[in-house]
Amino acid sequence: MSSDSEIIRQAAGSPATFAELYDRYARQVHRFVSRRIGSGTADDITSETFLVAFERRASYDVTVADARPWLFGIATVLLRKHRRLEARMWRGLEPADAIPADTGDTDERLDAQLASAGLHRALGRLKPADRDVFLLFAWEELSYAQIAQGLRVPVGTVRSRLNRARRQLRQALGDGTPSQKEVEHGRAGTAAFRAQ
Amino acid sequence: MDELELLRSVRSDVPEMTPDAFEQGRAALLVRAATGPGATRRRPRRRAWRRAGWSAGGTLLGAGIATALVLTNTLGLAGWRGGADPAAAASLHAAAAQTIKESDPFVAAGKFLKVSTTGINNATATGDGASEGYLVKSSDELYVPADRTSDWIWHRTPARPYKAFTTDAQRVMEDIEAAEKRQNIDQAAELLRAPGGRFYNSPAPVSEADLQALPDNGYQLLNYIYRVTLGKGSSPDAEAFTYIADLLRSGFVPAEQRATLYDAAALIPGVTVVDKQATLDGRTGIALGHTNGKSIRQEIVIDPDTGLLIGEREIALDDSIPGLPAGTAIESTAITTTVVDSAPTGGTPCGSTPCNQ
Repeated sequence: MSSDSEIIRQAAGSPATFAELYDRYARQVHRFVSRRIGSGTADDITSETFLVAFERRASYDVTVADARPWLFGIATVLLRKHRRLEARMWRGLEPADAIPADTGDTDERLDAQLASAGLHRALGRLKPADRDVFLLFAWEELSYAQIAQGLRVPVGTVRSRLNRARRQLRQALGDGTPSQKEVEHGRAGTAAFRAQ
Repeated sequence: MDELELLRSVRSDVPEMTPDAFEQGRAALLVRAATGPGATRRRPRRRAWRRAGWSAGGTLLGAGIATALVLTNTLGLAGWRGGADPAAAASLHAAAAQTIKESDPFVAAGKFLKVSTTGINNATATGDGASEGYLVKSSDELYVPADRTSDWIWHRTPARPYKAFTTDAQRVMEDIEAAEKRQNIDQAAELLRAPGGRFYNSPAPVSEADLQALPDNGYQLLNYIYRVTLGKGSSPDAEAFTYIADLLRSGFVPAEQRATLYDAAALIPGVTVVDKQATLDGRTGIALGHTNGKSIRQEIVIDPDTGLLIGEREIALDDSIPGLPAGTAIESTAITTTVVDSAPTGGTPCGSTPCNQ
């Protein structure tokens, strides 16, 4: 099986070869984008990601065998055009969809539910650049170096963004346990909004 | 449970990419591969093999609304909002009359209509974090057989860096060229062959069925165009003009239909004479244009003496593409058609790669 970089190199001479990279990663990119802004817009962004990648194939560093950091980096940049949509997604999400499937215990389930409600809001409040780094790390399990490569920022920047994101998320969740204050604050806010 | 563990499960149940979306994305990529580079910020290259990437849902929805709005081509948007600027309308009607008079060279059985195209496109590449636009140039020859259902042959040369306007863009362009050389990238020309012009397993940009569907008077044709382009582009008028430019630049629309397309363009509000002495690929003609959105003007350039289309181009009206200043032709196609006795032998439907890759 050809490495990604071989495909990209071959695609320079015969562009249709690039479709192999699409076959390999389109669904992964789609899933990542879909988790951030919903499947409606994900179709377009996935398609655009590969069109952009195709046009930039000559600038791909062929010493890097794995094209995922590059592709997810492009998708992340394209997602920035949809920040408002993403913000709405984080705000409006039902907490139930984030409960880990293997959580059987009722208390633990409730904890997880409350925690994830807070987590969504906390994610929505992260600086966009911090969130970009954090989601590549958490969802795609890219390494610091790969994130740096994909987003074209120094590794030190990735590290500091990730640290800041994790710290904020931990604070929002009360160091791992659901923050009652956070949840109540959210409800109070909603009630106040309704009363207006 | 730490925040990472929780986060990993967030929205992990999103629906998978549908097979339709997957295929459409793939087709869009193959179309891009087939039509050469274009700026990613602009919409994809338009009519050329674009139907491969159409969304079935969008088409159905568009057709539904269109049916409700316009039952026949005799009732529609055309006409009652005025038409092109008088000077532009006069030039277009004159070109239409001239086109009919000059007629087309006859392509006898066994011969080919050879359409030679010089295309300039814009490419965008990323240097040190910033995108830079520059121009690339390619030359193609398309051989359309007298019997359009038999094999078409397409000789494509890869687009090569052509022109940059700023120092940064020049550097990015040279970097890309150097990278290609360093990586020993083979930039060989490709020879494609496919019955009915179905290159890359996609419908021809202009099929016989497309041509037969076109009404034969300008007014009805324009209503037809408004109907089939409904909801696309920056405005119905801009999209209609672009649609006409796309059809014309294919190079193989018969004279009578070219004339009708000119007549239809004369009815589009907002079409003006941009330049009476426009030069495209060394030939001079009259440039007629329509602004497409805020940033682009679509132009067609016609030889007033023969009514022949010299080509079409898109002019940047602002500096929204980094590296390509306002006034630059960010895309152009110059076409020449001749009748030839033979076409190159060999070639495959998808060029040097198997179609199913």
